[in-house]
Amino acid sequence: MSASRFKVKALAWAPYIEPVDVATATQEQLAAMQVTPSNTKVSPYVRTLAHDPESYVARTKLFNAIMYAKGGLDRAERELGALVASAVNRCVYCASVHARRYVELSDRSDVVEEIYMRGLDGPFEPKIQAIVDFCRTLSETPSHVGQDQVQALRDHGLSKAEIVDLIHSAAIFGWANRLMHTLGHSTPVDGR
Amino acid sequence: MDQIDILSGIKPGSELYRIRRKRPDYVEGTELCRQTVLEPGHGFGIGHAMRAALAARMARLIGRNDLARTYDLMVEEAGGDETLAAIASAAGLPADADIFTQALVRHADLVTKTPRNNTRADIERLEAAGLSNPQIIALSELIAFVNFEARVIVALEALEPVA
Repeated sequence: MSASRFKVKALAWAPYIEPVDVATATQEQLAAMQVTPSNTKVSPYVRTLAHDPESYVARTKLFNAIMYAKGGLDRAERELGALVASAVNRCVYCASVHARRYVELSDRSDVVEEIYMRGLDGPFEPKIQAIVDFCRTLSETPSHVGQDQVQALRDHGLSKAEIVDLIHSAAIFGWANRLMHTLGHSTPVDGR
Repeated sequence: MDQIDILSGIKPGSELYRIRRKRPDYVEGTELCRQTVLEPGHGFGIGHAMRAALAARMARLIGRNDLARTYDLMVEEAGGDETLAAIASAAGLPADADIFTQALVRHADLVTKTPRNNTRADIERLEAAGLSNPQIIALSELIAFVNFEARVIVALEALEPVA
């Protein structure tokens, strides 16, 4: 439970390149975007990545497995891993989406307030600090990730299987941020 | 054993080896993604050797020479040349490298090292160098994949010896 009432605004996203037009898309692109007669509304993000439908389909499956697989690490903590990577990579759009999901799942708007207002230094409570420190180093300078940081996660009760989930959730945001932040920018929802 | 087990120092039958097998969607999904960015069915005119050379370069920039060497082998098998060797070794490009190649390399370096600093101008530079929209997306996915893979390897390697 958190006394913080900090709220992160929902944002939209706009690409720097012309996205695929559903009306002129190839069969492979339509299949990748899962366009059906009853579902022709596709986000600009999906339409942008659908320029390369093969990689889009494979990555989306991997992404969903990492963020939503049953068992293992709490979904909230996977979202925290995503948020920390997005903060390191300054992906404002990803950060807003995953900060809000983290709060929905954990009710910890105080943690999000700390990250948004003061950054990743903390101090956070020990378990959250261990997760933030590990995901931050992995995102910023992977060559500096050490056993001590992994040991800190173990010391705060994460099993090795849960740490594998955390590794993947932070790493897949190293991927997602490198798409969202370099291929477009966040926009106010009203400004669409 | 797959490439990620080997490069992370995961021993067959170890606890971490078994944990990875309980997440087949991660293990198989990563290999499928590798195929779609390194050896796609449709490469949009960015060839397999160029993709492998860029992957080797990015792995070196991240500090994983072992991962880079797996991509060096791909470059050699696909038929390398002087330019590809320079790209893979993370060196500067030969003076006669074309602007398209220069743009690929510049973008791979930036998005690997400092993605936070990327702006619209960086995408416009790719367009000015002649990259099509599918090529811009294919390049972006390749860059992001290698950055993902290197991070998974680094972190699993740190986790393997921990009790």
